[in-house]
Amino acid sequence: MGISTISDWTGQIGELVIGATRSEGGTRSRTLKVGGEKDLNGIGNAPLGYPAVVAYEIADDPDLWPAVARHAVGDASSDPAAWARFAEAEIRPDLIRLYCTSTRRRGFSDCAAIRKTVEEVLQATSLPISIEGSNDPAIDSEVYQKIGEAAAGERILLGTAEAGRYRSVAAAAMAYGHSIIAQSPIDINLAKQLNILLREIGIPRDRIAIDPYTGALGYGFEYSYSVMERIRTAALKGDEDLAMPMISSAVDSLTIKEVREAEGEDADRIAVAWELYAMLPAYLAGAAIVSVRHPETVPLIRDACSSLFQVHPGGGE
Amino acid sequence: MASLKPLDIYKLLPKKNCKECGDPTCLTFAMKLAGGKAQPDQCPYLDENAKAILGASTRPPIQKVKIGVGERSFTLGEEMVQYRHEKTFIHEPGIMTAIPDTMPGDRIKEITTDVRDYVLTRIGTDLRLNGIAIRCESGSPGEFSRAVEAVESVADLPEVLMSTDPVCMEAGLGVSGNYRPLIHAATHENYQEMCRLAKKFSCPLAIRADTLDSLADLSSKCATEGVSNLLLDLTSPSLHEVLNRTTAVRQHAVTRQTPALGYPVFLDCAQPGLEDAFLVTGVAKFGSVLVCNPLSQPVRKALLVLRQNIYTDPQKPIQITPGLYRIGSPGKDAPVLLSVNFSLTFFTLQGYLEASRVPSLMLVVDTEGLSVLTAVASGKLQEAMVKEAIAKFDLGNAVSHRKLIIPGYAAPLSGRIEDATGWKVLVGPRDAADIAEFLLQEWKP
Repeated sequence: MGISTISDWTGQIGELVIGATRSEGGTRSRTLKVGGEKDLNGIGNAPLGYPAVVAYEIADDPDLWPAVARHAVGDASSDPAAWARFAEAEIRPDLIRLYCTSTRRRGFSDCAAIRKTVEEVLQATSLPISIEGSNDPAIDSEVYQKIGEAAAGERILLGTAEAGRYRSVAAAAMAYGHSIIAQSPIDINLAKQLNILLREIGIPRDRIAIDPYTGALGYGFEYSYSVMERIRTAALKGDEDLAMPMISSAVDSLTIKEVREAEGEDADRIAVAWELYAMLPAYLAGAAIVSVRHPETVPLIRDACSSLFQVHPGGGE
Repeated sequence: MASLKPLDIYKLLPKKNCKECGDPTCLTFAMKLAGGKAQPDQCPYLDENAKAILGASTRPPIQKVKIGVGERSFTLGEEMVQYRHEKTFIHEPGIMTAIPDTMPGDRIKEITTDVRDYVLTRIGTDLRLNGIAIRCESGSPGEFSRAVEAVESVADLPEVLMSTDPVCMEAGLGVSGNYRPLIHAATHENYQEMCRLAKKFSCPLAIRADTLDSLADLSSKCATEGVSNLLLDLTSPSLHEVLNRTTAVRQHAVTRQTPALGYPVFLDCAQPGLEDAFLVTGVAKFGSVLVCNPLSQPVRKALLVLRQNIYTDPQKPIQITPGLYRIGSPGKDAPVLLSVNFSLTFFTLQGYLEASRVPSLMLVVDTEGLSVLTAVASGKLQEAMVKEAIAKFDLGNAVSHRKLIIPGYAAPLSGRIEDATGWKVLVGPRDAADIAEFLLQEWKP
């Protein structure tokens, strides 16, 4: 008697810690732990690993950010420190993810400004943070060095390493004690390959989050969903090169046609629905960190993930 | 019994290679059987033992159930796998909009009309809501049948009739019982009466119990009563519990460990504060009938698109027809961007190009549905096909310049494309999100 889920997994997802408190050499008010699961997210009885981490994304150059996400926070978006402060007080994510979009402008060279931005954001919020640097190999080295140094000791999650473009990120992470996001283009083999490359240059397993890249709902989401399930089940079958926690970000959700063409309140509603209906399946497929840009999505995705995760004592078989 | 591998099946076949099944060899037939693409009875020479084994292992482990009649009726069950990447999910869950029988008739008709008429067209497919669930909240047979009549007066949509009182149920079935509504629900207390109604009207029946063991017991009892078109109601106020139940039921069904749970799943997603979460869980994790309150426009769009995504066959990636695609109204001096026919790549680039407000042309070549990165790595993107595509789609007449922007990941091919085509190649960004900035800064005809 007692029909329940069948679990014959042998592997376990590794743990990753984000953020460092004062006693750990940083200034964060708390740390976040992800990973530790021995089954799919929410399956089985306690302990199940750690609850989902809900990240909220901000940008240092808001002109290069979806309008609907900017408008939803009003003036706060004009300055990254103010935005981070507003996020902690009003939006209450677990993690703030700062995108250094300013580095994506052609001819960008002001790395001193990046350093200042990172310092100000760290001052403005006590939440653990993740920072996305440049995506141009020509400036990577300097940008990541500045970010890493400015956040030294804070154990941030630094993004993004890709195959053929990971040395600068890895060097900054190792020099200043951060973890990194390893992104591959929706392909389990490329995800594994990148993790092996990172291991070979000395990044410990517990310092990596896998980003399998998440296509927007209706724009390739199904590929991302299945790649996440495949990575997770491979890890549970014992493949240690894939047994890192995953991060899924709704990066493209707010630039799709349906959101761009909606106006006013409609744009907010469709933006929130599009983020929620991608990030919740992403959690079900195995993501440990789900990351959104519309402030109203944050409490919805958190409640949904919590209710999937929460074991009620005595709640049936 | 777990599903058999092709070689295991091959051992059971006559190995005559007689071709009478339509396949060239017994081995290819075995591979089709393993993939569920052929039926054992296509082979005239199977012995009884082989028939028994193959019949049990190739028959879908989840009962096929049909709800409704006519154009909008839908089929459930017949699923074979736990994860869509193992093969594919087969039948999309039906989304049933719930109305209480205490609702005024005009409002019922309004909601039914909306469900009847709503359509969202995406990638050439019409996505629709499926039907109406009528909840007997009045406890009155008269009220219940009045509500069913109101629905029937507007549309012949598939229905769920929801009452645990056989008297109310019979009253509802008196109105729409000939149109194969789903009867919801039989319990250990009322199953004999509900089975009688299910047989009388030839309707599928949803069953409900506190635990999965109790539910397996109830499904066996219903089967003994002669009702095998069942759905399992796995609703619980705890979403964690729902996820664990739906996962367990699918596992026990596809591994054939507990055949009494080999039925499609019913979920009442109209749960306070968590309806979206229930709906998403139902779509991704094995739900077949999802009952919900009337949905807002944004939510129904997201839900229908998610359902389409999850039920797309992963073995057949959605490909874009190669060709020349116009963004805005490009003139003779508009930039031309080379891309591949992987749907995700195409839609992502198209989205960013539209957002850039720079009219442009996309030259899409046939990489058999591979992305830029994988196409370059595997040699599916080559200079010769770029040259062919330029000629075939008459790019030389569409623009007056001779410049081609190629994806950043195709940079290794830039020299060869220039040599083969005679067009000047500009290497674009690797990330489509950077295309607007690239065009503003770099593009000069």
